[in-house]
Amino acid sequence: METVHTLELKEVTKKMKGENVVNHLSFGVRKGEIFGLLGPNGAGKTTTIRMIVGLISMSGGEILVNGLDIRKNYEKAMEQIGAIVENPQMYDYLTGYKNLMQYARIMPGVTRERIDEVVKLVELEQAIHKKVKTYSLGMRQRLGVAQALLHRPSLLILDEPTNGLDPQGMHDLRNYLRLLADQGTSIVVSSHILAEMELMCDRVAVIQNGKLIRIDNVTNVTDQAQARVHFLLQGSLNDAKSLLAEHFPEKTAEVSDKELIVEANTTQEIGDINKRLVEAGFLVYGIQLKKKTLEERFLEMTGKGGDLNEVSVAGQ
Amino acid sequence: MKFLSLVSNEWIKIFSRTRTWVFIALPILIVLGVAIYGKVNEDDTVKSNWKQEVTQQNKDLKNQIAEAKKDGSPKFVAESLENEYKQNQYALKKDISPYETTSWKFMKDMAPLSSLLGLFVIVVASDIVAGEFAKGTIKMLLIRPYSRWKVLLSKLVATLAFAFFLWVILVAATWLFGSIFYGFGGMDQPYLSMVDGKIHEKLISEYVLANMGLEFIEFAVTVFLAFMVSTLFYSSSVAIGISLFLTFAGNALVLFISSKSWAKYTLFPNMDLTQYLDEGLQVVKGMSLPFSLGMLAIYSALFLIITFAVFQKRDVKA
Ligand SMILES: Nc1ncnc2c1ncn2[C@@H]1O[C@H](COP(=O)(O)OP(=O)(O)OP(=O)(O)O)[C@@H](O)[C@H]1O
Ligand SMILES: [Mg+2]
Repeated sequence: METVHTLELKEVTKKMKGENVVNHLSFGVRKGEIFGLLGPNGAGKTTTIRMIVGLISMSGGEILVNGLDIRKNYEKAMEQIGAIVENPQMYDYLTGYKNLMQYARIMPGVTRERIDEVVKLVELEQAIHKKVKTYSLGMRQRLGVAQALLHRPSLLILDEPTNGLDPQGMHDLRNYLRLLADQGTSIVVSSHILAEMELMCDRVAVIQNGKLIRIDNVTNVTDQAQARVHFLLQGSLNDAKSLLAEHFPEKTAEVSDKELIVEANTTQEIGDINKRLVEAGFLVYGIQLKKKTLEERFLEMTGKGGDLNEVSVAGQ
Repeated sequence: MKFLSLVSNEWIKIFSRTRTWVFIALPILIVLGVAIYGKVNEDDTVKSNWKQEVTQQNKDLKNQIAEAKKDGSPKFVAESLENEYKQNQYALKKDISPYETTSWKFMKDMAPLSSLLGLFVIVVASDIVAGEFAKGTIKMLLIRPYSRWKVLLSKLVATLAFAFFLWVILVAATWLFGSIFYGFGGMDQPYLSMVDGKIHEKLISEYVLANMGLEFIEFAVTVFLAFMVSTLFYSSSVAIGISLFLTFAGNALVLFISSKSWAKYTLFPNMDLTQYLDEGLQVVKGMSLPFSLGMLAIYSALFLIITFAVFQKRDVKA
């Protein structure tokens, strides 16, 4: 069955200075879904978003918003989108409220009550009548979120929305986005932080060098992020390494500073290793689990190339 | 209806800047200051004995003319002195006092203030597009459901409306203060002007009205030029600098190229429309008011086509 996509990219390409910054990118965002664009700095997330909202032209491909080609039905398509592209730059000589009024005036069906509602939602009631130049980074971000929500768009696009938000703000934003999604809004969120995507999204598209590497449910992507276990211990680290090589031949251990680093997936494995170390007389005074950074995951994914599916099966 | 909302957004932004209020207050204060200063320093003896004064002036002029002819100054120096001399003579004969100030005379004297307004208009026009690119606010504006040309047109309309507003303020202030300090009359006050070496009597009020109309056309073309520069450059200070340079250096440039046969087809000689109000002010020969209006129309169309074409296609990476 073909699902109706709120947003659909088909073979979208952007050439800049002779290079494909976005390279034949295709994906679809379903109604009521929170969709993540995940990729390291310079992957092409912002460039993709700029094309969706019509700030830059496409070198090739097609973008559909609720079935409308943005090149043929630009105004109709944009009416359905609310967006933050990189930092939300507002008029700093106007108050937050007057900034929102600017957009309220030119979008269909935004009443004063709606403005108040959105202001309350992003918790800017205190500062909304102060000039934006007095705002902190997080307050600007909140105002940015507010202007994107004003006209109740069916497609919400947020480029690194948690940028500058405090933990409470991030938490609230996540909850609110989930609420909107449950009410049928489709949401695209970009980020280079895997953990953030994990908390927020239903599916993620992993992008690198402008190319789509994979699209998957977020749990599939994050679960494969093998943990690196750091054992902090007293005694000869090299002896400990040999011990591991003896008992866990399939594991490769690294030695760094005062730690022994082992890749491990399950609690069982970690427990076993610890037991061996303690029994051999090492004083283990700390065990730290560190998920691989996204960069490392990318290296792995791109390095393994065609084996991606295999990995994702192993992850489940 | 929605397009008007775009325009009113721009209008609100213009008036939310402190500098805009300076642009409005400054001409008013200058006009008021000049009016007060003129009134306080009005010399009643000169006013009543103006014939004596003018006769004395003519004696001096005669000497200057003789000198100018002897020491080989350019011909037009002697010519303009002679014109002045003739005008004085005519004034004496017909009993038209050049020292009689009315509200209309005051408005004529205040006409040069419009180049100050021109400067303000350039600042606003140069900033209205480039400033939003520099600050990055343009992208928040361009992701709205409006074709780019509508957004740009709304900015152009707002700038023209602002230019018109400033101009109305200046006209109103000069008329009001002139009338308060020098009386409400003067509609029929004549002044002298030279046409083809002959002296003509004209009404000051007619001059003022014609001057105001022509100046507004100059304003509009200035807006189109600055607006184009504003769209072509990303930084508002660069845009303001280039527009100011073009406008003011352009006028100086006219003198250099005035003898060339193609000079009349360039923009700047045609920008000064008030030159046609007084014979003898023309630097480049062979032009007339309709010719200049035609040239300005062509240049304006060209500027606007470039502006809209560039804006429509441009990638916004701000
Ligand atoms: N104006 C430009 N000219 C040429 N190349 C550009 C331009 N802007 C961006 N790029 C290139 O496009 C690529 C993608 O940039 P983009 O801003 O889309 O990355 P991103 O995924 O949003 O990264 P980040 O996480 O840092 O926000 C980068 O390699 C960048 O060098
Ligand atoms: Mg980015």
